[in-house]
Amino acid sequence: MQRRYCDGIERRGFLKMGSVAGLSMAQLLRLQQTHGIDATASKNDVSCIFIFIIGGMAHQDMWDVKPEAPAEIRGDFHPIETRVPGIQVSNLLPRIAGVTDKLAILRSMTHGDPDHTAGYHVMMTGQHPGVGGNFNRNVLNNNMHPSFGSMVAKMGSSSGRLPPYISVPNFLNSGGPSFLGPSYAPFVIEADPASPEFSVRDIVLAEGVTNDRSLRRQSALRAINHLERSVEQFSKQERALDTYYEKAYQLMTSNEAKQAFEIERETPATRDAYGMTSLGQCCLLARRLVESGCRFVSIENGHWDTHRKNSESLRDLLVPPLDQGVSALLNDLEERGRLDSTLVVLTTEFGRTPRINDMAGRDHWPQAFSIVMAGGGLKRGLTIGATDKQAASVIDRPITPSDMAATLLKALGIDPDVTLHTPIGRPVQLAGGGRPVHELFA
Amino acid sequence: MWGIDVAVWFRYGCSSGEHDYPLWYHRKWVGAVAEVLKCLKRFRRLGCRVMSFVALLGSLFSGSVAGSEAIQRLSAEPGSISLNGTNRSQQLLITGFDALDRPIDVTHRATIESADSEIARVEGTVVRGLSDGETQLTVSCDGVTIPIPVSVRSIAGYPPVDFANDVVPLLSKLGCNSGGCHGKSAHASGLKLSVFGFDPTADYDVLVKDGRGRRIFPGSPEFSLFIRKAAGLMPHGGGRRLVPDSPDYDLMLAWIRQGTPPAQPHAPVLVRLSVSPAERVLRQNTTQQILATAHYSDGSQRDVTSAAGYASNAPAVADVDRSGLVRTSTIPGEAAIAVHYMGQVASVQLQLPRTSDYEPFEFPAKNEIDDLVRVKLEKMQLVPSALCDDPTFLRRVWLDTIGTLPTSDEVREFLADPRSDKRSLWIDQALDRAEYADYWALTWADILLVDRQKLGERGAYEFHQWLRQQFATNRGYDQWVSELITATGNSGTNGPVNLFRAAETPEDLAKTMSQAFLGVRMECAQCHHHPFEKWSQDDFYGFAGYFNGLERKPIATNRVFVYHTGLKEARIPLSNRIVPVRPLDGPTVTAVDADPRRELAQWMVSKENPWFARLAANRIWKHYLGRGLVEAEDDLRSTNPATNEELLKLLTTRLVTDNFDMKSLMRFIMNSRTYQLSSETNDSNRDDEQNFSHHYVRRMSAEVLLDAISQVTGEPEPFPGRPRGTRAIELWDNRLPSYFLEIFGRPERTSPCECGRTSEPTMSQALHLMNAPEVESRLASPGGRIAALVKSGATTAVIIDELSLVALGRMPSPSEQELGRELFAQAPPRQAAEDFLWTLLNSYDFLFIR
Repeated sequence: MQRRYCDGIERRGFLKMGSVAGLSMAQLLRLQQTHGIDATASKNDVSCIFIFIIGGMAHQDMWDVKPEAPAEIRGDFHPIETRVPGIQVSNLLPRIAGVTDKLAILRSMTHGDPDHTAGYHVMMTGQHPGVGGNFNRNVLNNNMHPSFGSMVAKMGSSSGRLPPYISVPNFLNSGGPSFLGPSYAPFVIEADPASPEFSVRDIVLAEGVTNDRSLRRQSALRAINHLERSVEQFSKQERALDTYYEKAYQLMTSNEAKQAFEIERETPATRDAYGMTSLGQCCLLARRLVESGCRFVSIENGHWDTHRKNSESLRDLLVPPLDQGVSALLNDLEERGRLDSTLVVLTTEFGRTPRINDMAGRDHWPQAFSIVMAGGGLKRGLTIGATDKQAASVIDRPITPSDMAATLLKALGIDPDVTLHTPIGRPVQLAGGGRPVHELFA
Repeated sequence: MWGIDVAVWFRYGCSSGEHDYPLWYHRKWVGAVAEVLKCLKRFRRLGCRVMSFVALLGSLFSGSVAGSEAIQRLSAEPGSISLNGTNRSQQLLITGFDALDRPIDVTHRATIESADSEIARVEGTVVRGLSDGETQLTVSCDGVTIPIPVSVRSIAGYPPVDFANDVVPLLSKLGCNSGGCHGKSAHASGLKLSVFGFDPTADYDVLVKDGRGRRIFPGSPEFSLFIRKAAGLMPHGGGRRLVPDSPDYDLMLAWIRQGTPPAQPHAPVLVRLSVSPAERVLRQNTTQQILATAHYSDGSQRDVTSAAGYASNAPAVADVDRSGLVRTSTIPGEAAIAVHYMGQVASVQLQLPRTSDYEPFEFPAKNEIDDLVRVKLEKMQLVPSALCDDPTFLRRVWLDTIGTLPTSDEVREFLADPRSDKRSLWIDQALDRAEYADYWALTWADILLVDRQKLGERGAYEFHQWLRQQFATNRGYDQWVSELITATGNSGTNGPVNLFRAAETPEDLAKTMSQAFLGVRMECAQCHHHPFEKWSQDDFYGFAGYFNGLERKPIATNRVFVYHTGLKEARIPLSNRIVPVRPLDGPTVTAVDADPRRELAQWMVSKENPWFARLAANRIWKHYLGRGLVEAEDDLRSTNPATNEELLKLLTTRLVTDNFDMKSLMRFIMNSRTYQLSSETNDSNRDDEQNFSHHYVRRMSAEVLLDAISQVTGEPEPFPGRPRGTRAIELWDNRLPSYFLEIFGRPERTSPCECGRTSEPTMSQALHLMNAPEVESRLASPGGRIAALVKSGATTAVIIDELSLVALGRMPSPSEQELGRELFAQAPPRQAAEDFLWTLLNSYDFLFIR
């Protein structure tokens, strides 16, 4: 049972094809490169903007408010009505309240590991890292399972000239490719698009290199690699690098692609609508990138580990940029007719403890928490699952990280049950055996 | 992508396996031809698998249809067939011999007929017993006919069905207990079987007792939930696995009718798996049936061809399907097919020489390595490439041995060296350089998990320094490994004890030690019997037992005192069974009070250890030749043979007799003609990746490349907190922030192998080399090479020559000189020189070791 890819050609099938059609190995490899790895995108490709809230998002103060709970649990915020009758969010999210018709709140996420690193890993990959025993142990860059972005880069079709998987404003620690290999690692924009000096590393010519000069260099480079030998004589490794040089060159020289990174092309009004914050501008940049063909943009937003002064931090620092950025993103995608082809996921390691601690903070709570999914053809304007009166445990429809993985992959047109093999040959299902949340699919 | 593609799981996966039609089958014209062949084939009552047409059609196209080499005689395996209640059917293996008496598999081409189909029926290439009696099969091919006597005994009833010998293998065959299905550690449905059936007792309880007993319905066996699901008569996530009324189905029913007996304590035990053919030279685009036979302690045998698992270690050369049918491709080479059945393994070694006419070639040996390589090249009919030229040689030796580019002066001096044995002399020179220790410490720090994040600064530093010292003094490999394995003391002062911090649990240490020093991958056996090796949980925990009792007493921040408190019991978790502490395949530990690691070290580094020297030899060979004789280099097992066993034996023996002197083995390898071959290929050896017919090109690794850029531009890479001029290959801190090292594949040192270090290309690499301000600023640096060259008033020609010598280790070719002159014609000298060097730094002749 070999897997057929979206172009209908099995990878192994190339060998069979070669043996029949009499192609040389070199011809075959080139065919493989042009045909196999970069399958042309289908019209219905869904992209993903994946927003990760680092530290643990307080579900009861934002998405799953419990006004009936005692004061030391309910906290300082109260529910407000939203655009969808019956769906309430906290008063910290007035703008989100205006777009609940575009999103689904999953209130019954659960995984049970209160460790940041493990929670991060399991929510970025769908699988628990499974090692170590200490709290906040060293689970190094995702050595255990590929991140969703890497899965999409590997399994999804890519279109256009942008890398299929981009991270902004930094590498997400569990965002690596694991055993899929560095070809599926994210292209990392290590810069904050909210900064006035924002620019993307290495895609524009270095200072002092004019266009003319670059053209001379590029033509010299093409010449020098082919002076002494033909492509047939390239080794496999050289041929592989050749494709990436080609892709890199296309990116450098494609205005359309480069412009995708140029957030300053947006009108001040649009930029302001998203908010001149890191999260807001990352959302806007992500929208530009998926519009230009990137399949998966991961965004990280930090400082949410509110062990102290939870309410204050959320109210004054953390939630307003999220409220503004995410709601603006959904509105913007809708207006541009792209919401159905763009899945927006707002997720985090875990929720926070029901009871407020003696430093006015909330601690880690993986037993029950909320995430948000919107667009990508999923059903909108609903909540799924429920927690008890204290938002402490799931009482209806538990959803595991693997289920979230399966949902995400399915929405992106990727079979969550595909089995990949680790270097030692262990079979691993992409979504770790999770089932898609069927309520989200029409 | 990973050498050992464990296709077994793939084939035993969960989704219902429909026919796999190859792509071309969907093309109309080919489809039509295939249809015609299909009718013809039906007519001839040969098998019905579509895949066998691929081979037939392929051979038509390649012009070497099997029929053109008429069969002169036939032989059949088995030569006579006995079928009975427990061995109810038999796969046939029919071999024809052509005029040159070369064996050709005609199993799927021959006509097989039974004299009495009431007694034994032929189903494709399998004969099935139906009623007791004697009869005969007639096998014919190309007009040659042979008989096979068949005897069928007590076939009517099923003898007592044995759960372990009969039912569990069937669960494996049907894929029920595979890792993707009910063998998964957390299966969605309630039915959880032991993966690959390693624990029949637990499986029995699951099927018969658990689930409130509803899985079995003794009153009406056909309505057992277990049967109905497997047969697809009720909704089943895995689809239909068991065809109603098939022999497998009947066996399951027979087991339930007999009252679901558990495994019998006195039942015959599976002792061995044999396969036929054990080795075979095959042509391209052909097929070969494998016959797998299980042997039991009572002397009985069973055909398990359809129940065994198969995996090829080189699917591009020869692939195998779940029925044991091998299909070869057009690529010459070798493949080993690993066959496994219920914890027993065997392998089939296949060779596919090139099929063109034999071309004699010159290959004058420089040492014994070459004699063995030549034998192989002749066998595979590959014409080797010529010797590489001097500049290529020097650059290769320098980069492979000291991770450093030769300077332009060194290149000039070497080219001008008139001595006839200059290559040998310069090899010695490279081995004597100080960078040797830096470079090999870096390589081994990857394998031995010298990770600053895990060990802290002091631990990583001490461990790295210690490693560097071993290479600087060229201490015997057995000596330093022995010290490492038994290390005791303060992690802040005694470097090697940090290995016991890098891997902390006995289980992690067992995995690390066995993979790093023995090339035995044990991690499968931590949770279940290794799916296609002999290792069981007993072996794993017996080995891990050496590290039970290791203590790590904290003495300061990030510092511990590591010591062993003496031999402890080893237990397998869950079952809580005690297993004897012993080395792999070795005797039980005898010492009880001393540190048992000493005994382990003695066993490990002894000259008799079948893995220790072999792995080191294979690693060093791979380092220099670009590919291991066994691949992956640290996966030594009987079912993953070397592509040139004699050569690996030679290298291993050499290392042992030289008292594990690694430099000596490197010298021996570098002095061979094989190492010094050109990477330029010819028509015959272009696709060869196993026989060392030409040099295999590799990209420089991250640290080496970064140092090369520093050296070429004359502007060193600044590393935070390190003195100016520090080289990347000297860094002990693998986490020192460096975008360059990260994108070019610096490993994280989390698994005990060289596999974390990758040279896979990415777009970020290409973009960085072309556009990074960090690279550009070094080209243009006022203190750099270009500034100095231009300031010196050198002519265009001199600048072009010098930059080529520095970057590529050779003089520019005339067309490269021309290219350089064009650049100089279009811009001022400084700028033009930068453009030319930019071009060189991005060229494949720079990035790759040729």
